[in-house]
Amino acid sequence: MIDMNDPVIRGYLIRLVGEDGLAMIEEMPEGEVTDEQIAQATGILLNIVRRTLFILNENKLAICRRERDASSGWLTYLWTLDISDIRKQLIKERKKLIKNLKIRKEFEESNVFYICPEGCIRMDFKQASDAVFMCMECGEDMIHEDNTPFIQLIDERIKNLESR
Amino acid sequence: MGIEETALEVISKYEDGVFQNQLWKELDIDSRKCSRIISKLLKDGLITREPAVDNGARTFLIRTTRKEEPSFELLLSGDMFSPCAGCRDACQPESCEKLTAWVLNLSQENSNNQEVSETE
Repeated sequence: MIDMNDPVIRGYLIRLVGEDGLAMIEEMPEGEVTDEQIAQATGILLNIVRRTLFILNENKLAICRRERDASSGWLTYLWTLDISDIRKQLIKERKKLIKNLKIRKEFEESNVFYICPEGCIRMDFKQASDAVFMCMECGEDMIHEDNTPFIQLIDERIKNLESR
Repeated sequence: MGIEETALEVISKYEDGVFQNQLWKELDIDSRKCSRIISKLLKDGLITREPAVDNGARTFLIRTTRKEEPSFELLLSGDMFSPCAGCRDACQPESCEKLTAWVLNLSQENSNNQEVSETE
C-alpha cells in the first residue's frame, strides 16, 4: 500500500507532475477511465490531465490501453493509475542521483573556481582567466572560492545514500 | 507483539548476527523457549542459523534474512526532491543549477536538524 502522505512519495510525484498533477492523482476515479472523464471528475484542465497521464505512463505509474470503436474506427485511450511500483522507480532515481552527485564531486575536486563577490557568476579557472578575473556582469574583481564545504555536503550525502 | 516478532526485531538489530546464547538473555526468556522460537523462525525462512563458538562455548549465530528496506528519504534535501527525477534538461551534472541548489539546501537541512536536536 502506498502512503500518499509520505513526504518522499509526494515530493517525487510533485517533481514529476507538479502540484496540479498530484491533485489529479489524488482525485482520480478508480478503474479504467478516459482523459476527459478524469478532467470532468477532478475539475483539472484537460491539457494538464493529458500531460500528467503521459508523464506517469513514461514513469510506469499509469497504464494505458487503446480501444478501437468497431463502427466509427475511433481510438479511445483508457487510463488506469497504478503507483504500486513506485518503489522500483525510487530505486532508479536514487541510482541516478548518486551517479550525478559523483560526477559533480569529481568535477568540483578537479577544478578551481572563482566567484563574483556580488554573487553574479561562478567560473572555473580557464573561464575566469579568459575574463581576466573580472565579472562580466558587474565588473567586480573575481575572488577564489573555497568549495570544500560544498564537496563535503556532496560527499556526505553520497555516503549516506550508498549505505542505506 | 508476539514473542517471535520481538525476537525477530532483536535479531534484525544485529547486522552481523547475534549468538543464540546472547539472544535468550536479551529477550529475558529461558534457553529452551528461545530454541523453540528459533525453530519456528527458521521454518518460516525468516532467519539463518550457523554453528559458532562464543567465548569458548558452542552456540549458534542467528542472522535475519530480511533485507533492510532501502530508505528514500535521502532523495529529499529539506523539502526539495532529487532534481534528477523526471528531468528533461540535457544532463550536465557538472554545471547543473538545479543540482547546485539541491546540494546547497543540504546545509540548510543540516542546520535545521541541529536546531531541532538542540531544542530537544
